[in-house]
Amino acid sequence: MRIPLSWLNDYVSLEGVSPRELADRLTFSGLEIEGIETIGSDYKGCVAAEVTAIRPHPNADKLRLVTVARGAEAPLEVVCGAPNVELGMKVALATIGAVLANGLVIKPAKIRGVPSSGMLCAEDELGLSADHGGLLRLPAEAVPGTPLSKILGPPEAVLVAEVTPNRPDCLSLIGIAREVGALLGRPVKRPSVEAPETGAPAAARIAVAIEDPELCPRYTARLLTGLAVGPSPEWMKKRLQLAGLRAISNVVDITNYVMLECGHPLHAFDLRRVRGERIVVRRARDGEVMKTLDGVERKLGARMLMICDAERPVALAGIMGGEESGIADDTAEVLLESACFQPAGIRWTSKALGLTSESAYRFERGADVLGADWAGRRAAALMAAHAGATIARGSVDAFPTPPRKKRVTLRFSRARDLLGMPLEPAVMTAIFRSLELGLAAADAESVTVEVPTFRVDLAQEVDLIEEVARIHGLDRIPAPAPTARLVPDATDRPVRARLEISRQLAGLGLCEIMNYTFTSDKLLNLFDPGGAAGRVKLPNPISADQTILRPSLIPQLVETLGRNRSRQRAEAALFEAGRVFTLKADGSFAETDMVALGLMGKAGRGVMDRGQAPGEEESFAWLKGLLESVCATLRVPVRRAGGMRLANPVFESAELPWAEPGMGARVLLNGTVCGVAGVLRSSIAREWRITEPVAVAELDAAMLGGHVFDVPASRPIPAYPSVERDVALIVAESVRYEDILQAILKQAPGELRQVRLFDVYRGEHVGPGRKSMACTLTYQSHEKTLTDEEANGYHNSIKAGIASDLQAEIRE
Amino acid sequence: MKANDIQELKRQALDEAAAAPTADALEAVRVKYLGRKGLLPDIMTGLKDMDPAERPLAGRYANELKQELGDTLAVRREAIEAAGRAAHRAPFDGTLPGNWRACGSRHPVSQVIEEAVRIFHGLGFTVADGPDLETEWHNFDALNTPADHPSRDVQDTFWLNDKTLLRTQTSPVQIRVMEGRRPPVRIIAPGRCYRRDTTDATHSANFHQIEGLYVDRQVSMADLKGDITHFAREMMGADVKVRFRPHFFPFTEPSVEYDFSCHMCKGAGCRVCKQSGWIEISGAGMVNPRVFANVGYEPEAFTGYAFGMGVERIAMIKFGIEDIRLLYENDVRFLEQFS
Repeated sequence: MRIPLSWLNDYVSLEGVSPRELADRLTFSGLEIEGIETIGSDYKGCVAAEVTAIRPHPNADKLRLVTVARGAEAPLEVVCGAPNVELGMKVALATIGAVLANGLVIKPAKIRGVPSSGMLCAEDELGLSADHGGLLRLPAEAVPGTPLSKILGPPEAVLVAEVTPNRPDCLSLIGIAREVGALLGRPVKRPSVEAPETGAPAAARIAVAIEDPELCPRYTARLLTGLAVGPSPEWMKKRLQLAGLRAISNVVDITNYVMLECGHPLHAFDLRRVRGERIVVRRARDGEVMKTLDGVERKLGARMLMICDAERPVALAGIMGGEESGIADDTAEVLLESACFQPAGIRWTSKALGLTSESAYRFERGADVLGADWAGRRAAALMAAHAGATIARGSVDAFPTPPRKKRVTLRFSRARDLLGMPLEPAVMTAIFRSLELGLAAADAESVTVEVPTFRVDLAQEVDLIEEVARIHGLDRIPAPAPTARLVPDATDRPVRARLEISRQLAGLGLCEIMNYTFTSDKLLNLFDPGGAAGRVKLPNPISADQTILRPSLIPQLVETLGRNRSRQRAEAALFEAGRVFTLKADGSFAETDMVALGLMGKAGRGVMDRGQAPGEEESFAWLKGLLESVCATLRVPVRRAGGMRLANPVFESAELPWAEPGMGARVLLNGTVCGVAGVLRSSIAREWRITEPVAVAELDAAMLGGHVFDVPASRPIPAYPSVERDVALIVAESVRYEDILQAILKQAPGELRQVRLFDVYRGEHVGPGRKSMACTLTYQSHEKTLTDEEANGYHNSIKAGIASDLQAEIRE
Repeated sequence: MKANDIQELKRQALDEAAAAPTADALEAVRVKYLGRKGLLPDIMTGLKDMDPAERPLAGRYANELKQELGDTLAVRREAIEAAGRAAHRAPFDGTLPGNWRACGSRHPVSQVIEEAVRIFHGLGFTVADGPDLETEWHNFDALNTPADHPSRDVQDTFWLNDKTLLRTQTSPVQIRVMEGRRPPVRIIAPGRCYRRDTTDATHSANFHQIEGLYVDRQVSMADLKGDITHFAREMMGADVKVRFRPHFFPFTEPSVEYDFSCHMCKGAGCRVCKQSGWIEISGAGMVNPRVFANVGYEPEAFTGYAFGMGVERIAMIKFGIEDIRLLYENDVRFLEQFS
């Protein structure tokens, strides 16, 4: 909503209040002023001039030399490039020394070799608009030599307001004047609507029937005869232009002017085109069509409310008139509509047709049903004054059920409690009075307000409290230091546990990323070609690459690794904590919080360790070590076997669609599958030209964080020294470390505390198809110091067990 | 011998020990003074012949000599040995680069969420959570959103089917929490939200919000102002100011929008605040009694405040990030700046 202040000043005095101050007051009472525009300037050094001669520029095709007369002073010749310059035209001349709206100072200049002693101005140069299409054409009666400020008037300030949808009353200057009046404590003046109704009674000629009173609670029609369509007076044109509307003709301009003034949209029909001189307000019939004023043929539907004549639609109710029934140059009789329409209906129709208008914008927020008559009278009076119209006596007012006025009671104590500040009852009632809310009753505890129909937003006690708060000033409500208050039975451990996972992963050196929830089948199919059935598809995606709610964090994580690799980051350690979505067989959706980690290249090495690229086993081992570390910091309990502590999680070999064959694993926590880990298939890695090994894992966050709040139980530290014994064995390549561990555990006494692998060797000494693995075993008793004999006894039986179980050759 | 002579001898011994250039020379000093036939045993023997009035003082000085010379000899010995070790190996280069794994980093959005959780935890708020896939009831109806409100459109909201949508705000968590328990309620709810916005420098179709809700008897607008102001100062800096403007939201009444004074320029006007000195943050207000009615709380008995804030927006102004897309680009060079 644009608010020209010179116009607003008609309704409430703005004396002594700067545009900036006014804007701030309005913004801080709920009418946000987004900008203050200044239209025009003081036009220093600019005068009206008349074009008396035009000749070509000797050196430029598009420039001309224009001689202008400027009254008593000598004519000047200026260089001009405007296309619309013509003999006899009255133009704005900026003389030497003039300062234009954009700060440009006019100086003597040579343009393409010809001296120019000034400049003829377009609208943008004068700060009137952004138009640079040609010279500003001054009225023909402008006297050359007259200072431009005498013709164009002083500069105008316009506030640009963003009106919240609950306040349609502020879509009018009078509505805003009411706010200003309340804020500044100044009275609001309304223009007179008194005009002699000298015509025959309106009801004798025109008729109105409302067939759908729900969608149209009121329709008033006035009749104006003997009018002459022509241009509006300059002041009205200027006001409309300042408010952002184009001037068209006096009759149309007056309907717009009154709409801007009081907020009530009006429509003028050429009575000749209203068949039967009768208005029927009804819903459209299926298949009906009508061409609206914008020249578009509209297909109408049965939910759309139409203004019809005796035969067919003449306007889309509250949105736009029909082209055929609009005002023409020769219109002499006008049926003036001032009606009210149900907001939801207007909104639906406007959206269905993709058609909006100043009128629809107001009706869909709610017009003042009791204000309809005033608006009609006001427009009629203006048409009498500026279009020579004769006003028919009275109106036809179809108003089946006038509304009962709402009453809302405010308890003073409630207002004080809700706002958290002391407030005198007198202050509150004064605010209501200043906003033109009728006081129906009041006592020491409360006041009952009769809500005027223009305030569609006031229905509850809190709405009145808001009026008090915003007019009194939110800045006057105290902002005390907070009081911490605990809610003893509220728990948030699951959420905090998830945050803890991310903290620990960052602490372990990973960089947190965040990808979109939306992804595409194309990406997902790379990782899981058979997974389409379980994906959640968006029926209305924004773009083709954002059609699926991600079922896994891994694809985008790998994509991120690839993107970073293309930016010369051949190594990275990333993680993401986020939600994934799956479609279940029964058609319902599941969402799960997951954590994914990815290591690329030498991510597991120290910064200085620039050796050769890691192998796949090494990458996977880093990933596994990382998961073991994070599980430890998240207090996932260790597994115990006899006297030994074994790592949790457990990795169980599994084929994964995105993992290199044989290099995938299920990850189990406490015996339950919690996620997957593996080395990325090189065929997928190639999509992003990744040649280094990539190890990736994805785990259920709730399970991973399920022990964060566990309390570790202290155990006694062993009192007796431990004994270490090494074992080196040569086994077939097919024997895994886990097999060796299991063989050791099978024979292990309760005194075995730890098995630590310290070497894996392949080469000449062990022969083809075989490898050597060496471990240190630690023995320790809780009861005594172990003797060498005891330790050797344990160790020898373990060695014997391994040798027979795994066909291993024990190296001594 | 006088007591003062012992003092003189001590000074001399300490000087000799400090100046000894080699381990052998140092040993010679030790033998000269502390050896079995050294000067100190002599003094100790001579004590008994001294003037009884001077004897205690001389005794003390003699002990001091023994103690201090011992200490000095030890210090000097270590210095001579260290110099010897250094001479036998390659020069030590402490300017070599440090060698440990790269340090990790949290995403700026996570950092803002963590910080908000920390701040509100201090006020006794717990963290609540709700699903990304929401019902129309929780996301719109219960929050008093009019049935034909434009935000419900398929143009603005991702609908999965007639009943299920991707939440457009974290406010449905308010409803879920209130449906699940009686007041008092004191929660914040960080989470992902979704709107059908075309991505540009300031819009993203998925983004994060932090919702706050406090319901009890006698919660007031003053509490809201005080708590938001506290949050602003903790999050952006102690000198940040907050201002409140009336606004309109269906689920709060009265409703406000709040701005922080610019932490970058201290309100003088800069790029971050677009020269205004203020940065628009988000909306808040007193819970609309209709929302209480929808969750079965007695609107007469309870009052409450609610607020929502855009996490990306706060991260952008806090860290001076100019384009929201950087937050989802996941360029490690960008993310590492926040470690």
